[in-house]
Amino acid sequence: MIGLANAIRYAALSLLITAAYGDSLVIKNVHVHPVTAPDIENGQVLIVDGKIADVGKKVTGRGAKIIDGHGLDLYPGLINAATNIGLEEIGSLRDTVDLNEIGEFNPQLMARMSFNPSSSHIDVTRSAGVTSVLTLPGSGGGRPGPEATVFYGQGAVMRLDGWTWDDMTVKAGAVLDMNFPVIGNAPPKPFPEMEKEYRKKLDQIADFFENARRYQKAKAAANSDFKPDPRFEAMIPVLEGQRPVFVRAARERAIKEAVAFADRQKIKIIIAGPEEIGDTGPLLKARQIPVILGDTLALPLHDDSPYDSRYTLPNEFYKAGVKICFGTFDVQFARNVGFQAAAAVAFGLPYDAAVKGVTINAAEILGVDSQLGSIDKGKLADLILTDGDPLEAKTNIKMEFIDGKQVSLENRQTQLYEKYLNRP
Amino acid sequence: MRIAIFFLITFAIARARAETFLIKNATVMTVSKGKIENGSVLVENGKIAAVGHDITAPAHGTVIDATGMFLTPGLIDCHSHTAIEGNVNEGSVSDAAMVNVKDVINPYDVNIYRALAGGLTVSNVLHGSANAIGGQTVVIKLRWGKDAEGMLFAGAVPGIKFALGENPKRQGYPRTIFSGPNARERRYPGTRLGVEDVIREDFTKAKIYQQEWAEYNARIARGENPIPPRRDLQLEPLVEVLEGKRYLHCHSYRSDELLMLMKLSDEIGFKIRTFQHALEAYKVAKEIAARHIGVSTFSDWWSYKIEVVDAIPYNAAICVRKGIVTSLNSDSDELQRHLNYEAAKTMRYGGLTEEEALSLVTLSPAKQLGIDKRVGSIDVGKDADLVLWNKYPLSNYSKAMQVWIDGTKYFDVADDLKARADVAAKKKVLLEKEKARQESDKKKAPSGPKNPKAPGEVL
Amino acid sequence: MKRALAVAVAGLVCAVCVRAAAPSAIAIKDARIVPVSGPDLPRGTVLLRNGLIEDVGPDLTIPADAWVIDGAGLTVYPGFIDGLSTWGVSPPPRPEPAAGSNAASPPRAQGPEDRPEDDAFERAADLMNPSDSRLQMARDAGFTTAAAFPERGIFGGEGAIVDLAGARGRDMVVASPIGQYIALRTRGFAAGFPNSLMGVIAYVRQTYLDLDWYKRANVVYAAHVSGNKRPGYDHYLEALGNSPRVLLPATEAQQIDRMLSFGVELKQPFIIYGLHEAYRRIDELSRSKTPVFVSLKWPAAPKDGDPANVPDYRTLVMRDQAPGVPGLLARAGVSFGFYDDGVDKTADLKKAVRKAIDAGLAQADAIRALTLNVAEIYGVADRMGSIEKGKIANLVVTRGDAFADKTKIEYVFVDGQQFKPSEDEPAKAAGDTAALRTTGAPPALGPQYPAVRAMSDHGVETSVCAIRACE
Repeated sequence: MIGLANAIRYAALSLLITAAYGDSLVIKNVHVHPVTAPDIENGQVLIVDGKIADVGKKVTGRGAKIIDGHGLDLYPGLINAATNIGLEEIGSLRDTVDLNEIGEFNPQLMARMSFNPSSSHIDVTRSAGVTSVLTLPGSGGGRPGPEATVFYGQGAVMRLDGWTWDDMTVKAGAVLDMNFPVIGNAPPKPFPEMEKEYRKKLDQIADFFENARRYQKAKAAANSDFKPDPRFEAMIPVLEGQRPVFVRAARERAIKEAVAFADRQKIKIIIAGPEEIGDTGPLLKARQIPVILGDTLALPLHDDSPYDSRYTLPNEFYKAGVKICFGTFDVQFARNVGFQAAAAVAFGLPYDAAVKGVTINAAEILGVDSQLGSIDKGKLADLILTDGDPLEAKTNIKMEFIDGKQVSLENRQTQLYEKYLNRP
Repeated sequence: MRIAIFFLITFAIARARAETFLIKNATVMTVSKGKIENGSVLVENGKIAAVGHDITAPAHGTVIDATGMFLTPGLIDCHSHTAIEGNVNEGSVSDAAMVNVKDVINPYDVNIYRALAGGLTVSNVLHGSANAIGGQTVVIKLRWGKDAEGMLFAGAVPGIKFALGENPKRQGYPRTIFSGPNARERRYPGTRLGVEDVIREDFTKAKIYQQEWAEYNARIARGENPIPPRRDLQLEPLVEVLEGKRYLHCHSYRSDELLMLMKLSDEIGFKIRTFQHALEAYKVAKEIAARHIGVSTFSDWWSYKIEVVDAIPYNAAICVRKGIVTSLNSDSDELQRHLNYEAAKTMRYGGLTEEEALSLVTLSPAKQLGIDKRVGSIDVGKDADLVLWNKYPLSNYSKAMQVWIDGTKYFDVADDLKARADVAAKKKVLLEKEKARQESDKKKAPSGPKNPKAPGEVL
Repeated sequence: MKRALAVAVAGLVCAVCVRAAAPSAIAIKDARIVPVSGPDLPRGTVLLRNGLIEDVGPDLTIPADAWVIDGAGLTVYPGFIDGLSTWGVSPPPRPEPAAGSNAASPPRAQGPEDRPEDDAFERAADLMNPSDSRLQMARDAGFTTAAAFPERGIFGGEGAIVDLAGARGRDMVVASPIGQYIALRTRGFAAGFPNSLMGVIAYVRQTYLDLDWYKRANVVYAAHVSGNKRPGYDHYLEALGNSPRVLLPATEAQQIDRMLSFGVELKQPFIIYGLHEAYRRIDELSRSKTPVFVSLKWPAAPKDGDPANVPDYRTLVMRDQAPGVPGLLARAGVSFGFYDDGVDKTADLKKAVRKAIDAGLAQADAIRALTLNVAEIYGVADRMGSIEKGKIANLVVTRGDAFADKTKIEYVFVDGQQFKPSEDEPAKAAGDTAALRTTGAPPALGPQYPAVRAMSDHGVETSVCAIRACE
């Protein structure tokens, strides 16, 4: 029983290489799952300066520290493409939540600069094999109706290890978090009236973009009188197509409207948290608009929807040729992102698409695929060593590396576990 | 061979009444007696008639070839709010013992069917947690298609919901949503101290009430003419708890409050059947185990409020190791659809064995609800509540294919597929009819004043 | 707006002017007569005198003093009866908040013993307002009578059978008490007990247990005063104890199941009202022999709804099947009637009944459901519900079959008083109950005691204007 309690510690200790293992490291005797290439049985990975220097049947790392993987599986670290980690500690305590700032247009707000590097969610999520996350400044909540928030601010890709938020930033300003307005989010009014309200809101957004463009032009032709404005400044990467807009759009109509909006504004968007596909598949495919899916394990939209209509949703987007990845849109269950992908497999999604949906596809959609998402030469060495499929709940994460550095799998929960398991 | 054997393609069985059938070549996960590879289960008259390797096919009945598939007992959820019509909480008072979930079971709640499709067959349907003493609870079988009466698990001991901690005291806070221009009246209690007080006081009242009836009956027996005591629906359930006729299921989180109720129960003399959620049960597992109280917890919930900061996904595992009858519950219309996935998490968090993990959502909740002689494992004589899975049920890739309750099939993936096409077609017709109705209503002389508003004009 | 004002002014003017002469008797001759209690008379005469049906038959001798209406081409039906209505009932005044208290609502109830939402003691018979504009609206649709109830709270109060015209409120009352109106409604979370459906059910259950106890305790006390604590006086239970039956709501199938067993549990004679999903429970209703009232507010798509909100299958089935319920009930032999359920336009009322007929309710069954059935359910068939000698002269006279497309209602007789249906919906005058309902304001003083006492009972009016003068 004690041995069981110490399973994690054992895994850590028996394989632990001291933090100061130098600049290069070889992980050998592992089943490598690069995700972007065929699996390598009994393979090896060379890590130099925190990056993957080589991967194959045999790598040469002169003077490198060696870790024996004992035939375990090596995967790229999982990516959760939608969370609020670092910005929310205890959901019901407003003082510990830094989401949904007041105001409709806040494109200048930056999630990463308020990311709490000591949040207990970081350790807990990391120990489940999630090595990086998109942290968002919004939660889709906030005020409904005409004063609903439009832009929450910028989300950042964060690695779940480091001393400061600065260390932990993989990509600042990765996305602009947007709450797409919906018709009829207000108390019941006749539909035409609500639609009018909605159109007005869209006009407001269009005006904001128009002003942002005027600002952009004025800045380009800048002289000494030019007055900078943080809000419009933050829109320039969006207008230039450098920063995709993370568009929260759940229903078919909202998705279509969001696509039309992106067409009009000529901006790059990601559809986030869709709850149905309707006939949006071809629209999204034609424009190569990717989708960040929320929980697969969710209730159907309508009483008479098929019981598995949310379970099959990932596969429906996949079949439509849309690039998908997974996010949990929360903090509490951020560690379970792999299980959400697995549930989609139970209901039709090809297994490879599920794995990619928590690794390389997430990296591509968030624009960090040059650094993350697969075991490929040149990428950051964010790796997990497991005793099986990382999407399965019964699988254990045995060892984990972020930027080539082995990270602790301990957290407050494992500490409490050991403490109380051994209570006399 | 005069035996009529129907080697049906596994799922192509029309829904039938409780029938005789044999499931063969399945991996049978009995939960009570390990796993039987290539096993068979014979069902007769709604009961499990035989379990093993070589069971002769019945003379009259169906044989289901479940090669490659897994058979488990129906899953059991010890904490559900599914099928409650109206508000889940009678939250207006700190003691709502007079209300009864049994009165408001809605057999048309589609979440029953959705849960069934995830292998769930039994639910403990509970009142919410807004009050120290909540409403009465009821155990149902998810017999989709039956009326409310037909859902009830006959013979299951009824329960009552208690609640400790933040939820029952929330309406006593001087601030939060209870202040400002729309201030609501505060309700006692506003602290954990007050929660204890409410429970103590009301049990005290219940004992007096019990006494009043005893005295009344004694006076009647003596030939006197007393006025009978007024029947009090708020106190009667507590009397039943005192008399062991009603199970006490207590929503709780922190170890201090768990211990508080245990000490109070020692002092007053009532039994706690289960602690619900009990996310810090692992801290007082010894005390809980000593009193034979069950723990029905979450797999990995935490951090949503301050009283769950010390919640750990190892809670179930520690409780099991300390000898507590432990279950995992859903408390959610969604989560109840995949309690098998929830159970699998305890293999990662705490290293439970496959059978221990599966028991958390089958035999153990059955024990907690006092229905383990009837359900919870695949044993001869038990109700034929069975689930056939396409894959190893503790895998996140598994899916329930067929579900039986009392030997009657209530879910079949193949039937479901057929039914959805049927409903879609019928719905299309109904929508067209509705459109036609609307148009004909418009055409007919408009009702009301002779100058009706122009169509689309905003009223 | 202008129009409404004009009618209102006309009403006021009339109130002090016209008074037509009243005939001592009226004979409707050569009309088709549908007595409901017996076979139709293809050609006959109905004779009215003193507010009663003096005689009916194929070959009546018409007395010399009678004013004669040529009934050729006309059909005479008993006046229609609404099974559960608030027509004519003024909302009871709310208690004034205590001085200095800024809370408009009563104190938060702590449990059943506080009797929240309990108006059991209110009696429709004491609250009748003959100037309620809905009376004319209802008469214009052929309704002469309603089982009227106060409707506030969970225990709404005691109903009365009322005729839908009269000089004073009390003149309208035919029978009282007839039943306690129960609504399983809840207020907001902050309003106190009960705030859930299960809470309301527990509350009603406890109240009837209390009633049972109250009765028994008083019997014991009366016989053995010494040594027993007095049971006390309970205003609410006194009222409940005098009620002959209870009305329970159930629209959906599971609610019907629930109320069928709850009614039995309460040990009271009961009626179920609502019934839109009763097509799933016809057998159960038939077996239970429980009388029911079907709501005429058929479920329908909301106006100005979001086109993207496609209703679910069950809702669609209910919208499609609900109007078929009366036909099914009739064929299964269930004793049923209709109630307006807030439908407050003449044309809509007619259209709603027509829907049930189109969905399979036989014309004769529809008429019976609107007349004799309701009278039987409330035990007043000895005085109304059919065209029989000695019954109250409540009649509807139509040109064509009632509820057929082109049919026009020519006359309505209430207590022998003749009304000519208006082509217009009545204007809502200030002080109308209907208007009060939305504002929640207390009623203006004394609608039951009109300042202008225009005429004696049972007078026959010959103009629309004069009818308003009755106020």
